[in-house]
Amino acid sequence: MAEKWIYWLEEVCQEHNNLVGKKCANLGELTKAGFRVPPGYALSVDAYARFMNESGAREDVLKYLSTFSADPDNLSHTVRYDEASKIIRGIVESKKMPSDMEKTIREYYEGLCTRTKCDDTPVATRSAGPVSHPGQYETYLHVKGKDDVVQNVIRVWASTFNTRSIIARARLGLPMEYDPIGCAVLTMVDAKAAGVMFSLNPTDGDMTKVVIEGNWGLGEAVVSGSINPDRFLVDKILLQVEERVISRKTMEFVYNEKKREMEYKDLPAELQDVPCLEDKEIIELAKVSKKIEGYFGCPQDSEWVISKSLPFPENVFLVQTRPETVWSKKQKGPLLGQKSGLEMLIERAITPTKVKM
Amino acid sequence: MAEKKFPFANEVKLPKELEGWEEMYPVIRLFSKDRDEWEKGQFWFQDKIHAPEPLYPLDDIFQEAWQIALSGYTTRVFCIPPAQGIAQRLLGCYMYITPVAPPPPEIIGEKAELFGKRVFYVFENYDKMWEIWINKFQKLGAELEAVKVPSDLPKYVPDSEVFPEPRGYTDAYQLIESFNTAVSLIFKAWQFHFEYLNLAYLAYLMFNDAARKLFPGIKESAIGKMVAGADVYMFRPEEELCRLSRLAHAHKSVADVLRSDGPAAQKIEKLKAIDSGRIWLEELERVKNPWFFVSCGSGWFHYEGSWIDKMDVPFNYMKSYIERLDKGEKIERSLTAISEERDRILAEYRSFIKTDEDRKSFEDAYNVVRTIYRYAEDHLFWVEHWLHTIWFAKVREFGAVLQKNGLLKEVDDIYLFNRFEVPMLIEDLATTWALGVGVPSRGKYWMELAEKRKKILDAARKWVAVPGLGVPPAEVSEPFTVMLWGITTDKVDEWLKGTDQKPGDVKELKGFASSAGVVEGPARVLKQLEDLVTLKDGEIMVVPSTNPSWAPVFTKVKAAVTDIGGLTSHAAIVSREYGLPAVTGTGIATSVIKTGDILKVDGGTGIVTIVKRA
Repeated sequence: MAEKWIYWLEEVCQEHNNLVGKKCANLGELTKAGFRVPPGYALSVDAYARFMNESGAREDVLKYLSTFSADPDNLSHTVRYDEASKIIRGIVESKKMPSDMEKTIREYYEGLCTRTKCDDTPVATRSAGPVSHPGQYETYLHVKGKDDVVQNVIRVWASTFNTRSIIARARLGLPMEYDPIGCAVLTMVDAKAAGVMFSLNPTDGDMTKVVIEGNWGLGEAVVSGSINPDRFLVDKILLQVEERVISRKTMEFVYNEKKREMEYKDLPAELQDVPCLEDKEIIELAKVSKKIEGYFGCPQDSEWVISKSLPFPENVFLVQTRPETVWSKKQKGPLLGQKSGLEMLIERAITPTKVKM
Repeated sequence: MAEKKFPFANEVKLPKELEGWEEMYPVIRLFSKDRDEWEKGQFWFQDKIHAPEPLYPLDDIFQEAWQIALSGYTTRVFCIPPAQGIAQRLLGCYMYITPVAPPPPEIIGEKAELFGKRVFYVFENYDKMWEIWINKFQKLGAELEAVKVPSDLPKYVPDSEVFPEPRGYTDAYQLIESFNTAVSLIFKAWQFHFEYLNLAYLAYLMFNDAARKLFPGIKESAIGKMVAGADVYMFRPEEELCRLSRLAHAHKSVADVLRSDGPAAQKIEKLKAIDSGRIWLEELERVKNPWFFVSCGSGWFHYEGSWIDKMDVPFNYMKSYIERLDKGEKIERSLTAISEERDRILAEYRSFIKTDEDRKSFEDAYNVVRTIYRYAEDHLFWVEHWLHTIWFAKVREFGAVLQKNGLLKEVDDIYLFNRFEVPMLIEDLATTWALGVGVPSRGKYWMELAEKRKKILDAARKWVAVPGLGVPPAEVSEPFTVMLWGITTDKVDEWLKGTDQKPGDVKELKGFASSAGVVEGPARVLKQLEDLVTLKDGEIMVVPSTNPSWAPVFTKVKAAVTDIGGLTSHAAIVSREYGLPAVTGTGIATSVIKTGDILKVDGGTGIVTIVKRA
């Protein structure tokens, strides 16, 4: 077991995939490359292992599993797995974290609070598997205070026992009681608007454009597809907005202070038809998108957030990026063919310009 | 084929006040019964680039000259296979043009062979050919300047023309010969004008096609930026002004005079009185020819004047440059910044090309257009500005003699007679002078005719000419039609919709996306250069068209909108250079936009929105 199991994002990079999980490694890489990523830290897969072993969680889970039997390929057994998931997550979430780990996580959180100049800075605790399985594990947003951070890290770990995950492991014949993942603790950006962007036009694969989609509030609304986002088509070379589709945005995903939870809230009428980004923000995002593509050497699909409180351009944050896969794989044949300039000139000269009436 | 058509020439109803307009122009310039069938088979559109206003008969000489030259280079010299020339006709003092329909297939075949051979040669040797061109053109201009126009006819020929060796001809003959020489030189200059222009435009169209195939989403403005030259002659007049301004700025007493208000003539007098002022004036004298031989308008019309005739114009520019230097601003365009931006855009597009084959072809296409395209920007200064300025000055010398001898009321009235008529006036003068004392000329007749023509031109100015005549064609092969006049489906459709809309109802105008960027601001409509004094920093300039003498204006405005001009028009080129948004060729901007309207100009999409009416 590695001695060190917790890292500031800037301490990790892509090659630490197996150590801290893909998301953390990626965010670390972006941070190191100079992109503006919300400050945060990563708990390695070893942290999961230590917790499961030292808190006695693994033992108790194994004990419970010895009494459990179900067939993952039998759909009607899903109920059994549901039941098991509830029990196991109960077991895991009830365990106390080894005290040195708890102390360290608290210290890192304090560090974040210092860096963001905010007591009890809200964070997101996110799962980060070495292999990405988006949506499989859980994320907890707007976690505030040391106690809650510690508890929510455990909840992220416990989410490796959600129903769909244990069924998947059972199917693959993997150990049921154990699935080490990384966990990211990321400062929440007080989102004015958020969304996704592609460093090419996903509609037609045009590499000379950037497409940005966004909504007011946090990006979940855009990523989940629950609202129609605003859409901006930007010329990547001239850095100029070419097309704007301003949708009627009825809801935003925000934190409810009273209920202490995230929720979809109706947007006031005066904001619904207003673009969620200013032109300078659009251009800044396009520049960022272009830079990420250049950094990773292939088209990227990224998530961004614009902060409410910071001044431009420090308010533009990147929270995720991954290679775009659809168009990048398509190999195009030659479009002009091998022709000399003069051959093309002659071709042009003999081809009338069509002016259809 | 369209059901929609414009009226035929003979169906156009001209106002009564225009009666007799056709007598101002040579018969070959008019629509005619004997050519009716051919004329009706062609689509004619009003040439707002070269004749946005009613044509003075003598100013028509450039139009005649370009009709022959442009067309000849296309059909007989470079033999662009399917393209024929551009024909002109005058109607109600406005000029209409038409790209002549393609020739029969066998002719296309013949031309194709010649075209390949000749074009290849030009591209291989362009740099050398440009050197030859500029030398012969400067020589031609000097020849025109040297044409002798006697300031008056002497009572008796001086002794010196009689002994020891008689000259053999009188000044009266000299007048006849000189006018003919000047006319010939203009026709020749216009032959030179088109020596490479057709190919330059064709190369642009070719590169435009290649870029579009590779990058379907590419903006015309990006193509323009890749192709535009930074260090071209057209910018020299302005560069000289910057240099003179800096020179003045270094000498407080000179700068003080230039900074003051008042006419240029007065400032020059003041400068003569101080040492450093005289040195500065010497420098000004040194660069005046050719760099102040730049028209205050397009260069096409005598009434526009050039910097050398209207020194207030360059002096006002210098005043504002000096004021900017006072503030520590940089007044010159950064050539390196322009070329760096061009290289960046080119490199970025190149990086998106996926195959080696395409990369090579793109490179080749680019080299072809870069080789020759600067001609499109270079020739403009030398022909339309420098040479035309010389011509106008020369014509005024003839006007002065005719005026002195009672054939004209005003010197500039000479422009009311076409180039076939002026020799008649000169002959009248020569004859009357030769016949001796007490012999009448037809001065009264000429003067009355001039007055009548002034009235006709006034009436023509008030008349709104139809944008097109006849049936629009299905396709156009003539490179200039597409490139320079920007005749596209959309454009013709807009004309057809045309006059249905009241100017006040227009909320949005469409033109060429000539220079990228979006800005919002108040409009300033400038119909002529004299209106420039009203322009304030940060306004959006709305103009019929611009030309090199307007260049300094571009440092003051936020964006440019023009009625006329495509992607390679002056306003488009300069706006790109200055990084200002520009929408050109809207057709109607100066008639529907009023000074003070709040505009949003999107140079990337070519749309001008009237956000708020003043």
